[in-house]
Amino acid sequence: MEGQGFLLACIFVPLIGSLLLPLFNRINAGFRNVMALLFVLTAFVSSAMLLNPALNGEPVYLHWQLPLGLSIGFLADGLAVFMAMTSSLVAAIIVFYSFGYIEHYKHQNEYYLMVVLFIGAMMGLVFSTNLICIYMFWEISAICCWRLIGFYRSKTVVLKADKAFLVTVGGALLMLIGFVAIYGQTGTFDLMELQGTALDNWIMVLILFGILSKSATLPLHTWLPDAGVAPSPVTSLLHAAVLVKIGVYVFARLFLVNFQLDVIWETVVPIIAAVSALVSAGAALVENDIKRIIAYSTISQLAFILLGLSSGVMIGVAGGLLYILMHSLAKGGLFLCAGIVEHNTHTKDIREMGGLVKVLPITTISFALCAFSVMGIPPFGGFFAKFMVIDAALIGGSPWLAGVFIIGAIMTVIYLLRVFVKVFFGQITHQDIKEGTWEMVSSVAILGVLSLLGGIFINIPTQLTSFIVENLGRW
Amino acid sequence: MSSLFRNMAAALTGGSGVSLLYLMIVLPAVLALFTVLISHKSFVARSFCYLTATVINFLLAIFLFIGDEATMLFPWADFEINLAFRVYDFSSWILLALASFALLVGIYSVSFLRKKEYYGQFYCFYLLTLAMANGAVLANNLVVLLFFWEGLMVTLLGMIIIGNKQKPATAVKALVLNGIADLLLMLGVVATAYQAGTFMMDGLADLPIEGIGVLGFLCMMAGAIGKAGSMPFHSWIPDAANDAPLPFMAILPAAFEKILGIYLLVRITFDFYAMIPGSIMSIVVMTIGAVTIVLAVAMTLIQKDMKKLLSYHAISQVGYMILGIGTALPVGIIGGLFHMINHVIYKCCLFLTAGAVEKQTGTTDLKKISGLGKFMPLTTICFLIAALSISGVPPFNGFFSKELVFDAALESGIIFYIAAVLGAFLTAASFLKLGHAAFFGSVHLPENVKQSDLREAPGAMLLPMGVLALGCIVFGVWNKLPLSVIQPLIGDYDYSGWPHSMILVAISCIVLLLAIGNHIFGYKRTGEGLKAIDHIHYAPVLHQIYNGAEKHYFDPYDILMVLVKAFAWICFGIDRVINWCYDVLFVKIVVGATVFLRNINNGSASRYMLWSFSGLAFIVLLCLFLI
Repeated sequence: MEGQGFLLACIFVPLIGSLLLPLFNRINAGFRNVMALLFVLTAFVSSAMLLNPALNGEPVYLHWQLPLGLSIGFLADGLAVFMAMTSSLVAAIIVFYSFGYIEHYKHQNEYYLMVVLFIGAMMGLVFSTNLICIYMFWEISAICCWRLIGFYRSKTVVLKADKAFLVTVGGALLMLIGFVAIYGQTGTFDLMELQGTALDNWIMVLILFGILSKSATLPLHTWLPDAGVAPSPVTSLLHAAVLVKIGVYVFARLFLVNFQLDVIWETVVPIIAAVSALVSAGAALVENDIKRIIAYSTISQLAFILLGLSSGVMIGVAGGLLYILMHSLAKGGLFLCAGIVEHNTHTKDIREMGGLVKVLPITTISFALCAFSVMGIPPFGGFFAKFMVIDAALIGGSPWLAGVFIIGAIMTVIYLLRVFVKVFFGQITHQDIKEGTWEMVSSVAILGVLSLLGGIFINIPTQLTSFIVENLGRW
Repeated sequence: MSSLFRNMAAALTGGSGVSLLYLMIVLPAVLALFTVLISHKSFVARSFCYLTATVINFLLAIFLFIGDEATMLFPWADFEINLAFRVYDFSSWILLALASFALLVGIYSVSFLRKKEYYGQFYCFYLLTLAMANGAVLANNLVVLLFFWEGLMVTLLGMIIIGNKQKPATAVKALVLNGIADLLLMLGVVATAYQAGTFMMDGLADLPIEGIGVLGFLCMMAGAIGKAGSMPFHSWIPDAANDAPLPFMAILPAAFEKILGIYLLVRITFDFYAMIPGSIMSIVVMTIGAVTIVLAVAMTLIQKDMKKLLSYHAISQVGYMILGIGTALPVGIIGGLFHMINHVIYKCCLFLTAGAVEKQTGTTDLKKISGLGKFMPLTTICFLIAALSISGVPPFNGFFSKELVFDAALESGIIFYIAAVLGAFLTAASFLKLGHAAFFGSVHLPENVKQSDLREAPGAMLLPMGVLALGCIVFGVWNKLPLSVIQPLIGDYDYSGWPHSMILVAISCIVLLLAIGNHIFGYKRTGEGLKAIDHIHYAPVLHQIYNGAEKHYFDPYDILMVLVKAFAWICFGIDRVINWCYDVLFVKIVVGATVFLRNINNGSASRYMLWSFSGLAFIVLLCLFLI
């Protein structure tokens, strides 16, 4: 029974707790901040406690039957626990970083409320076994992301927040039609009952719209770079911990665990991913805004994840899941580093920065560690993920597909190196700045070190990913 | 003596060499962290830590070399990605080579870097490089090989960038070119494993080069020669000669990268895949080797800086090794491996002499220095021995290995032999120029260096140079020693002693004489050693080509970057068009639709009547139609 308590705590502590945060501010702003962190940590600890039952093959499951074939259900299987732990860990670090970053801005109540609610929605979505619940949590996350992107309130910023909202909600509505169509055919929204159902291709297209818009894949991606106007911890949250990972997670949940797809999608999705990877990598090489570059890099890396998950090969799915973890750690770190740089230099244009290694040594090293992980260079964690995905592309797809993704990987090396070197090396532009607050610096350092340890001790995350993959029942 | 070592090794490891395997990786890596964690004021403590690591590593390598074959396997990531290591006669020999050069350059760099602020970071990256290189050689799983192999990129970037933080362009270039090679290697590994059905390297044997094997072979080969610094992955090396700390040049481009690259190339062509002499793949590899030899050595003729000139030789010489191995003939592979080890000895020695010159005079620009022989006699002797070796003068080591490669090249095609001989001629010519300009002739020093202050390099720098110079002689005169290790790897052959083909030796000697004649001709013409080959530089057509090369028109990196930029702009354009759809087109459609709807709902009663009636008519018609 206690397992169920953890499952409920994992979802509802951040979800409900977030609403209490403005009240806590009445007592003390510091208290509110600590509570926000505590709520997120609760989610992390609870999801970690769910790990053992999941690995023992007895996942915690909660279920309430409602009329009309409706139901509410939460299931903590390996995949869900993996995603919940990844998200809440990175989110906790980001919240901790926010203590330093956000302290000089207005509307902090809203900020913490939205961030924690966002994470609560993510937790709910991850564990849900009902299509309608998934949709509801999906939309809560869209609202949070809309408020958070528009945090600075100026006209252009609000326009970009609207754009993000409209694109993702537009996709989600199409997905909802798909869900309703599934209901029309089967009479249920419950994924446990839908296990193994074959899905029509037109429904797949509708759902794919939702997923690709949330996961910012070509041609539904342009809201993501524009979302860079948000405060850096928010962009970090969007890219690393929650928002874009929702899309790929739901892809895994629906199409790997539950539904049976036409074989054609094992060709179509990788091709969409390939185009997305190349185009966004090219755009990243042209942009000069540090946050936009890293955002395009996310689009490009998401394509690798999508490739792995859709490859139809065991090693590819495992690689895709590992990629989610490693990308979360590293990309979170990159955005937080960008936040420190932006905070200190008051610019986002990499042409106006240089030689910052002298004044920001720890940020430089952390950025390097994270960037190497995203590039997929060993001994960092990204290497294994990239390797497995490329391996799957060759086994499940064709040498051409693997070749295209190798080109994508080369472009990744080039554009990340370009940012790294332009910002931290070369002529010094800012002499009299110093590192961010200790919360900020330690956050990026933790993410950098985790990216490194994730590679050396790859056996730890792979135990979980292999378990998930072996239990998919598809092979 | 050897049994004593064996007993010591057994005592240390509890009977087997297995635990030594991971010590080779873990120990340098851990000590690397110590070198940066110890207070930066404590030069002695850091250097002690650093040298201890290289010495222990050397001892471990000796134990492994003497010891028996051993394997070990830890589970790591799933899908057969295990931490598998194997030491056997080939890899233990390579490990010993790595360890010896790490030790020698290690001693040298302590003295060289004494006053540099970045010495601690250099130590750290150096030891990490050693750990990764050991790991790459010990790996018995393709993924583990790739792990350590690509990991070298990190230390490469670090070592170049610490030397010149203001101008990081060289580091970027090095990392991009290496990154391309390494990612191609990744593709090659994937394809090879797919064909073989396993990641274990001892499970790969003589795969046929066909179908997916062609992709696997070509990509893995690209990774190997890319690490070795062959064309077209070479162009960062001359730039690094300018910007990176000199011990970096001696240890990475001159030593480690050659050893690793050629080790892998031999494993690929001889072990993993069955390359047949005279096959298309063999010709591809040989062509890369021959082109690299000629083009890179041609660039040495116009260099006016000692380090840069040597770096072009480091590229050109790798061409001989690739050419030899590419023949797929036993004599060629043995020659290639022998040349690799010889090259590392003399090229390392040459870079170290250049470092001694830089340390004592502050520059390696040949326009500013000449006649150093009087002041630095020991450095000059070491330089001379190494220069004679690289030029292929008997009885130094370079002569013997080159003859083996010539032998194999001639058997595979006269054109390859001609390329190799042309390379030998130009190598000799450029070293005559370099030696003459730097160490002989009238004394000429930079303004800030007085003749009375100029003296021989410190002992810690002379020792490694002396050992390497001695190596050039020993491996030449007593070439049975290295060949008795190399030959059993390939089969039951014996190429030790004097070269078998007297005609080839005669041709080589004539070529050397021609080079000397050419030098004398050029020297008489211009009166300066440095300008002794200007008549080739300024020859009619060559002059234009050289001009283009100096402006980087032929630099594969620059050409690639132009292509990448163009591609990036196209992608950016596509991205902007999509974005325009969201930002402008959709907005216009929505606004247009609203305007239209507003206009038709303008409050006029007659228009509403019209709408109502036409709607009614539509419904009636629809009902009629359906009935």
